Amino acid sequence: MLSIKVQRLITRIPAELAAGWAIARKDMMIYYLKPNIIVSGILFPLFMFLAFAIGRNEDPEALIPGLIAITILFSASSIEPVSIPIERRVKTFDRLLSAPISMNTLVFGESLSGFLYSLVIALIPLGIGVIVYHTQVFHIVFLSIAILLTSFCFATLGTLFAAYPTENVGEVMSMLNLVRLPLIFISGVFIPISTMPLIGQIIALLSPLTYANDLIQYSYGGSSHFTPVLDLIILIIFILVFQAGADKLYRKFNE
Amino acid sequence: MNAVEVLNIKKKFPSVTALDDISFSIGEGEIFGFLGPNGAGKTTTIRILTGITQPTSGTAKIFGHDIRTETIAARQSMGIVHETSNVYDDLTPWQNLMFTAELYHVGKGEREKKSVELLKIFDLYERRNDKVRGFSKGMKRRLTLAMGLVNSPKLLFLDEPTSGLDVQSNLIIRDVINDLASTGVTVFLTTHNIEEANLMCDRVAIINHGIIAAIDTPHRLKGTIQSVQSIEVSFDNSSVDNLSLVSLLSGVNDAKKVGDRYKLYTDNLPLVIEEVMGFAQKNGLKVQSITTLGPSLEDVFIKITGLERTGVIIHAID
Repeated sequence: MLSIKVQRLITRIPAELAAGWAIARKDMMIYYLKPNIIVSGILFPLFMFLAFAIGRNEDPEALIPGLIAITILFSASSIEPVSIPIERRVKTFDRLLSAPISMNTLVFGESLSGFLYSLVIALIPLGIGVIVYHTQVFHIVFLSIAILLTSFCFATLGTLFAAYPTENVGEVMSMLNLVRLPLIFISGVFIPISTMPLIGQIIALLSPLTYANDLIQYSYGGSSHFTPVLDLIILIIFILVFQAGADKLYRKFNE
Repeated sequence: MNAVEVLNIKKKFPSVTALDDISFSIGEGEIFGFLGPNGAGKTTTIRILTGITQPTSGTAKIFGHDIRTETIAARQSMGIVHETSNVYDDLTPWQNLMFTAELYHVGKGEREKKSVELLKIFDLYERRNDKVRGFSKGMKRRLTLAMGLVNSPKLLFLDEPTSGLDVQSNLIIRDVINDLASTGVTVFLTTHNIEEANLMCDRVAIINHGIIAAIDTPHRLKGTIQSVQSIEVSFDNSSVDNLSLVSLLSGVNDAKKVGDRYKLYTDNLPLVIEEVMGFAQKNGLKVQSITTLGPSLEDVFIKITGLERTGVIIHAID
């Protein structure tokens, strides 16, 4: 017999999901075309990639997975650090905090908009690879799962950082970039993990981008530093940790 | 069952105690006014009752649901109109209402029907598909109230609903609040407009320094300071400001100018009337009207909170 509390929780799931979807839709309507989101989510990773790729004479099939990974990192984590401080400033965030939904639903709904945004944006490097460089994907299922998990992972990371109680978008973005930029260099995107010094290889283990990039590399080239299943499991763990961390921080900062 | 039950709530921040052991209850269908100066603890009380902030100790129940442990069930029955008109400027009134209704799990058919009804009541129906960004302050405030009502709440929190609004919006909002009360909706109202509280509220609580200083019907609260009386007098030559002179008359404890009249506070009415008549005669003025008044809710507020009367404005009332 399920306890009454668990039964109540189960019966609430459809309503909570609908509310999460409503929050995501609201963000899509309001924020997707804001200039700072376009710059941070699309142009920044593209220029970053070009800065590293041009003149290095790398194989496109080695470059495109990295471009996909960093594009997802920047696009998925760019919506909430913009939308939530703005909503704090104009007090619409109080509407979400006082609605009859759980904090987990609020975090999920916010992350969902970043997730969907990056799914669309990820099509750009994917398309560049196929159309311009004629790259081939060997494991389309793994690539799809990799893009889905990576997008949700970094969207939740963005929501986690946006928990910092400020009304200033710049403050959240600065903190986030303090993490996002080093991730690019320690996660095997431009420098393969196997060629890194030992300390670099250890640090790389702490980065979700390492596993995202490894999984996407595997989908393209058929080989990976870790195993694809391990990459999947660790990405899921990162999502759960970010979700739980965000839930806790939003509660704490509303005290 | 009471709509709201607050028992021994304390809220301590690192540097200040915002609420110090407050307790009160609000019956179903009651319009309850919550008055207090800036920083008295009004907003903290609302944030605790709506589950946004947790109290340091004590309990608060909404229709029997503990706001701390049954937050979602407690919130389901309430509507909240925040002090700021926190609407989404980049959405239309229709989209704002649909979004709010979805957060409160209102079914599609019901939310559309309710939204049409509310947009018409608040005179926004013709503008339902325009972006809110271009709306006036009054229109945004009306939309905020409509969003607070879209889930047909049994308890409505109104934080300064008519502050700084145009006459049309003010009248619409007051009418709606009165209509809600007649249909059994409980209203928790914070306002800086003491006359509004006097006219609309069944009971009023005055909070100061985080403590409930008084709680009763406006009529009974006024009865507690019967010693404060006043007269209102107007002279024929209203263009000359005689405030400084009339305030020096014997028996006048305090004076203020209200439009073309002078309001003189005293605990000796006959003496002040005599002094006013003498003052008029001496200065060649004709007394156009003279009225004796009992204490107002404003007088009660000032006495309880220890604020000072300055001209026609009461300062530090939020």
